[in-house]
Parts: sequence; C-alpha cells; structure tokens
Amino acid sequence: MTATTTAPAPTPAPPPRRRRRSYRALQPGPGGVVLRYVLLAVASVVTLFPFYAMVVLSLKPAAAVEFPGSLLPWPIEFDAYATVLDSRDILRWLLNTTIYSVVSVVAVLLLAAMAGYAFAKKRFPGRETMFWSFLAMVMVPYHVTLIPTFILIAKVGGVDTYWGLILPTLANAQAVFLMRQFIQGLPDELFEAAKIDGASEWRMFVRIVLPLCKPILATLGVFVFLWHWNDLLWPLIIGQSGDMRTLTVGIASLQKEQVPLNVMLAGSVVAFVPIFAAYLVGQRYFTEGVTMSGIKG
Amino acid sequence: MAVPAQLPARRARRVIARREARWGLLFVLPAFLLFLAFRFGPAIAGLVLGFMDYTIGGDAEWTGLDNARRLVDDPVFWQALRVTAGYTVLYVPLTVAASVGLALLVRRGFRGVGLFRSVFFLPVVTSLVLVATIFSWVFSSDGPWSRILGWVGLPDDSWLASSTLVLPALALVGVWSHFGYGMLIVLARLQDLPREQEEAALTDGAGPWQRFRWIVLPQLKPVLFFLLVIETTASFQVFDLVYAMTGGGPARASYTLVMALYDQGFKYFDLGYASAIGVALFVMTLVVALIQRLTLGRDK
Repeated sequence: MTATTTAPAPTPAPPPRRRRRSYRALQPGPGGVVLRYVLLAVASVVTLFPFYAMVVLSLKPAAAVEFPGSLLPWPIEFDAYATVLDSRDILRWLLNTTIYSVVSVVAVLLLAAMAGYAFAKKRFPGRETMFWSFLAMVMVPYHVTLIPTFILIAKVGGVDTYWGLILPTLANAQAVFLMRQFIQGLPDELFEAAKIDGASEWRMFVRIVLPLCKPILATLGVFVFLWHWNDLLWPLIIGQSGDMRTLTVGIASLQKEQVPLNVMLAGSVVAFVPIFAAYLVGQRYFTEGVTMSGIKG
Repeated sequence: MAVPAQLPARRARRVIARREARWGLLFVLPAFLLFLAFRFGPAIAGLVLGFMDYTIGGDAEWTGLDNARRLVDDPVFWQALRVTAGYTVLYVPLTVAASVGLALLVRRGFRGVGLFRSVFFLPVVTSLVLVATIFSWVFSSDGPWSRILGWVGLPDDSWLASSTLVLPALALVGVWSHFGYGMLIVLARLQDLPREQEEAALTDGAGPWQRFRWIVLPQLKPVLFFLLVIETTASFQVFDLVYAMTGGGPARASYTLVMALYDQGFKYFDLGYASAIGVALFVMTLVVALIQRLTLGRDK
C-alpha cells in the first residue's frame, strides 16, 4: 500500500476480478441451485401453511373444518368475524393490549435512553456498582422474580389495573445495555460543544442524544412492542377480571371455553394483523434487533 | 506563578464534575429504582421465599429446607422435571440444526433471498398463543398432521391426545416458532466469515460438505454456543405453548416446570412452594450454562 507512490498504475485492477470469479465459484452448480430452491420451497410451505390455514379456516363455517377439503378458499363466510367483533370482548382486549404495548414502549425507550446516556457519558458515584447489578440480573430467570413481583403489586393494589400491569415490565436491563452501548459510540466532542454553547443537560439529552439514537430506538422499540404485544404470563396473572385481559390472555381463555375453531381463528387473525403490519413496515429493524444479539427470545 | 491561575480552574472543574455527577444520577435513577423494585428486589425475595411457607393473605414462616424436601418427595415436581428435560432434548438440537441449515440455504445472495429470510422469521414475531391455536388444529384428529400420518400408513391418532407423542408435537411447534431467530444469528456470523479459506478449499477440490465441516463449522462455534445457551434457557422456561395448547395434559404428559410454578402460585396460592420451584429453575439454568461453558465454550 505504501509503495503506491513509486509504482502507481496496474496493481489495483486484478483483485476485484478475482473476487468476482471466485464468488461465482462458491455459488452452487445447476444441480445445487435446484436443490436449494426445492429445500427453500419446502421450508417456506411448512412455515407459511399455518398462517394460510389460520386465515382460510377463519372464513369457514364452524362445521366444515376438515383437512384438506376446507383449505380451499371457497366458499367464504364472515360469520366468525361477526361473532368475534359482536362480542365486544375482543375490542376490549385489543384496547388493553394496545395500551400495554404502546405505553411500555414509550416508557422503556425513554428510561433506557436516559440511563444509557448516563452510564455511557457521565461519571457519578455508584456507576460501576449499578451497572454490574444490572448485568448480574440478566442471568436470573424471569420466573424467579415473578411471584415476589406479583406479591408486591398485589399489596399496593395493582391487580387488575393498567399501572400494575405496566410498571413492573418497565424494568428492562437489556434495553439499558443496548442504549449504553450505542451512546458510547457517539463522539464526546458533540456534547462538549453543546456544553460550551450553554445547553442545559436536559436540552442536550432531548436535542442531541435522542435524535442521534433514532436507529437504535426504532430497533429497540420494535422489539419491546413485540414482546409486550405477545406477552402472556404477566398479563395472565395480573389481569384477573375479564375486563383487564389482553389479546393473548383472551384468546387462550377462548380455548378453554371450547369456542368454535373458526371463531377462535378469527380472533387470532385480529390479533395477528397489527403485528404482521408492523413486521412488514419495520422488518429491517426486527432483523437488526436480532443480529445485535438477542433482546428477549 | 502558575498556582493562582490553576486553582480556580481546578475548582471550576470540580464544580462541573459535581454538576455532571448530579445529572448522571438523575438520569439513571428512574431506571435504577424500577430495576431495584421489580428485578433486583424480587430476585432476592424469590430466593428467600423459596425457604418459607407463605400463602397470600397468610403469615410468612421460615421453614428452611422444608420446601426443598417437599420438592424431592413430590412426584408432580419430578414429572415436571422429566417433561421439561424431555422437551429440551427434543427442542434444542432440532432448533439449532434448523437454524444452521436454513442460514446456509439463504447465505449467498440470489434472487428472492430477502423474501425467504422474511418468511422464515415471520413465526418469531407471532404470538405463541396464536401459534398454539392454529397448531391445536394441525395436530387434532381431523387436522393435517393426522391425515399425513394416515396417508403414509402410520397411526393417525391426534398427537396432542397421546401421552407419548404430545412432547414431540410441542417440540416441533417450538422449533417452527423459533428457528428463524437462530437462522438470523447464524446468518449474521456467516456473512462476516472471510471467503479466502473457503475459496482455497474449493480450489483444492473440497466438496460442499467438507468445506462446511472443516472450515465453516469451526468458525461458527461461538455463535452455536450462544444459541445453545439461549435456546436451552428458553426451553427450561417453556410456558405459553403448553398453557395454550395442552394445559399440561394429557395426564400431565406435557406438564412443565413453569406450568407447575404457575399452578402452585396462582391456582393453589402456595407462593413459598412456587418460589422453591423458581429456585430449582434458577439452579438448573446456572448448572447448564456452566456445563456448556466448560465443555463447549473453552475457546472463546
């Protein structure tokens, strides 16, 4: 590389060509391509079939649910959806799930960004101790903390309330780590310049940290949303009256009440559509979130 | 000469540092207090409760190892342990294998590769309760799985009603719902691997399997280790699928540890005993993580 000044011309040309050729060489031959597509097609059918069945069967009369005949998309009936939406329950569950997910996402992102900023860029007494106690807790299974958390919430009257449902789930150590990691990568000069300009700490946080964190906030937000939307155990425990059920709890309860399959699947479709829409729109963030090495299984 | 000029500067720096510390604490405090109240505190309390007799509304009484002894004598606990272990043995290798296999298939760029990746990840974003709903039909006696078994001449009874086949059924659903996650993690690693070694092996005439076995697989080790730990821990804690698909049945054949914890805590309100199950779960998680670290994670 350093020799380029004395002998300039022809060297840069070959590497890209060789790379392209060997790239092709590592690609499978025609037989391999066919095999790959066959395997991928089989895997895709296996992956997608349950979704297809869920949608199609929700559009059938209850009696006709038999394989394979009932998987033809004809005739279609919307009875199951009428039943589901008529009962009003599911709208309530949808509302509860939305409140649970949206409030949690906003609160977790704000708290994690604040804490992550402090851990990454501020010195204060107890910083290391706090950080390591966060870290240590990742090893402790959620279920060990479940019962004491329930007792605590029950004692302060949080059973069957939104705050009782939401508040404990805001303690999200992984979110704090992720934010700290990201904010550590932001250049210190930025903050120093703002300080010299006389910006207040809060203003710096809102005007500099949050905007720069947009990509990580989007990724994290998508994951927190997903986790809350699909969460079962905590809402099941804390929402004991029918009115406080979330979608997951409600649909699981339908199963126990022997509701006809097409009605249950119609409910499932209603619960699935928002997540599916979010997935279509924010797919990039989902996959980034995973590769940034797993927030929540 | 320099001293008077230095002093105010140092004092000013100290003032700034103190201000910074105050703000740092202020920013951390909300998250940390929540963490103390709902993670750290409960974790300690959970461990302590495991040694107590406590029912909600009643008095808490220190009973030492009584809960542990009760666990050892409790056939339901042993059943839950067996079921959880069985589920793990079926679920973890299958999931890791499927993750690696599909990551290899979608590794190189080709037309439509993005579409395949998104298809395979779709089950991961789907709620396990919905997954349970649809798979209850898939595995029912007039669902597709029974029909396929019948067509190839196997007994076509519903697997969910069979005490021997309910766990394989649940494990398959578990694999279906989660392989996309592992696939993405393996894929990320695969794409970071340098090409040179594989190319060299190719020119030496190594086939696809040989290249995978001797060049790619060794470099995947850290990722596989990570996956193994994640998936094992997850399978110890399996709940949603079981709760929504079988409720632990038939005859406790799919009754897992967290199902037992849930029943003891929130059906019988025996919170001390339920916490003891939680402690057992914690110990198991630690032991497995340790064993895996010692045997597999030696190099990195």
